[in-house]
Amino acid sequence: MQSAILHQGFALSRSRSAPQGFALPRSRSTRARLESALGERISAPFTDIERRTLETVPTGIAPLDALMGGLPRGGITELFGPPSSGCTSAMISILAEATARDEVCALIDGNDAFDPKSAAAAGVELNRLLWIRCRKLEHVLKTTDLLLQGGGFGRVVMDLTDLPASNVRSIPLVSWFRFQRTIEKTPTVLVVMSSENIVKSAAALVLRMEKQDAQWSTLLNGFNFNIEIVRSRKSRPLKSYVRVHLHSECVQ
Amino acid sequence: MFACIYIPNASNDAQAALLDCAGAFSPRVENMPPGAVVFDVEGLERLFGSYSEIASKIAEAACARGLEANVALASNIDAAVCAARGFGGITVLNHGTEANRLSDLPPAVLSASPEILETLERWGIRTLGAFAKLPAVDVSARFGQEGIELHKRARGVGSRPLVPHVDRVRFVDVVELDYEIVTIEPLTFILSRMLDGICTRLRSRNFATHEVHLSLGTYIRVLNLPLPVRNPKLLTRLLILDLEAHPPGVGIRRIEIEAIPAKPRVVQNGLFVPLSPEPEKLELTLARLKAVVGEENVGAAEIQDTHRPDGFRVSKFSSTNKDISKLDKSWQDLPNFKLLALRRFRPPLEATVQLRNSTPIWIAFHGVHGPIATARGPWRTSGDWWRPTMWDREEWDIEVLDALYRIYFDVHMDRWYAEGVFD
Repeated sequence: MQSAILHQGFALSRSRSAPQGFALPRSRSTRARLESALGERISAPFTDIERRTLETVPTGIAPLDALMGGLPRGGITELFGPPSSGCTSAMISILAEATARDEVCALIDGNDAFDPKSAAAAGVELNRLLWIRCRKLEHVLKTTDLLLQGGGFGRVVMDLTDLPASNVRSIPLVSWFRFQRTIEKTPTVLVVMSSENIVKSAAALVLRMEKQDAQWSTLLNGFNFNIEIVRSRKSRPLKSYVRVHLHSECVQ
Repeated sequence: MFACIYIPNASNDAQAALLDCAGAFSPRVENMPPGAVVFDVEGLERLFGSYSEIASKIAEAACARGLEANVALASNIDAAVCAARGFGGITVLNHGTEANRLSDLPPAVLSASPEILETLERWGIRTLGAFAKLPAVDVSARFGQEGIELHKRARGVGSRPLVPHVDRVRFVDVVELDYEIVTIEPLTFILSRMLDGICTRLRSRNFATHEVHLSLGTYIRVLNLPLPVRNPKLLTRLLILDLEAHPPGVGIRRIEIEAIPAKPRVVQNGLFVPLSPEPEKLELTLARLKAVVGEENVGAAEIQDTHRPDGFRVSKFSSTNKDISKLDKSWQDLPNFKLLALRRFRPPLEATVQLRNSTPIWIAFHGVHGPIATARGPWRTSGDWWRPTMWDREEWDIEVLDALYRIYFDVHMDRWYAEGVFD
């Protein structure tokens, strides 16, 4: 219905000189002819795929949500950056936001680096989080396949940060497209976390994280980090930065 | 018409034998331990003749099982039980004669509580006839509802229905193989067939199962499920995955599966229920994940009640861990999460640290080495000094090569370690 309305608007805007009553039937008949011609190969040629991925979920980082609306459901979101760039804090914020809404999440921990204490302190409900501790890249990929095919998870996080960069780079692009295809029509958000950009064009949203200044007291008090939107399927890439302050009062 | 078989001071075995004996005459048997069973004999006249002949047959059947039993027939259950308890041998109470026949029996045959029997004794009530003559209203005033019930029994006018005894149904299937199976794969077909049958039986009685016992000869595995299921494909897959993770290691000649019955799960799904995996599907996914990364590496993190750094354990994950109780909360009330997270090195990485004025100035560990730009500490923690797993350390937060690390000096080991990176 929505696509029909959009199509109607398109026809009217393009044929201002023609009588309005004439434009509509002609466009409809053209559309019907195209649909019948393409029907064998493409089931819904005029369905707006972009519109399906518009639903977003908040990250828990208010400035980021205000800028880009959140993470797209049914798509891959990639967070990357060097050590201490804030990727893990952002990932935990995403999980905290999801578990606070009673969604079930999964964390595929590539190198067993997840710290439950700091996650719980940040608001993650650990009994809603399935934690899979891996040591090998092949286990991470296999586990991701199983979880995405099983379905029902609100967020699935792949943490590839501490795995050897050469191994991570060797993940074929087709794997990322397979994951993207698996979750495409589901409400699941797949979050990939790594030290460099690896998901490429299969990602619906790519965020680069970068550490700024740190604040110190008796121990580390916190630090600021910048988030750059490198790629976004929803809108054009934004070169604007979001500055977020983290504090460490609950980290034991 | 009801029959009662009674043995004074019956053991558990004797009670089971009584049930067997009664079951030979009627499917509707009520178990009344200790020492009594009652069953419906209506319609048996056509098979055995008069009620006296039926009673004789029952006594013979009891005798054949080695039971010295009293047998009584009456038109109601309570009268039959009282007669069997009060009269030796065979007794038949015809309809309308119960009160008269029972009148000479002592009140003890009523199975009343000791307090009531003592009170009757004090009142000088020695027989059921004497008790039956008491006004029902006064008995009620003194003994309450129980007294009314006993008074009815004494008058031989009981009218309660029979409560049939139901044997515990076991859902078991056993297969004896002609030759040994040494691999898991051929077992799939056998388990599938066995579980198909068991699940059909469970479904026919409106049961499901949350516990499956698999015996492969002397090798036994128990599959515990977080919720009752009766899907044979799911159970087969879970058992096979479990066997792949824990292979029996010996040839298999005998397979026995027992499913413990449980009430099936009834779920009313809602429109606004948060996203979570289907429990049955999740169980299968978890089993597959365990087969890939190991059982100890899959689950929900549970923080232990200790100050020990990295004190946690991995517990079994279930999407039904928590009921949906927070749907009404305002989403705007959620906290703004901005806490710094630590990525741990497991196990901690041994580090080489140079000090100046007791402050770290240079570090090297696992590919990271360089001067320390900033160091803050020490933060001293210790605990569990009474256990071998005690810890005593001085923590420092440092900045090296534009990254922030937590390192610590283990006082007992006299060594430096890198614990993790703030990220």
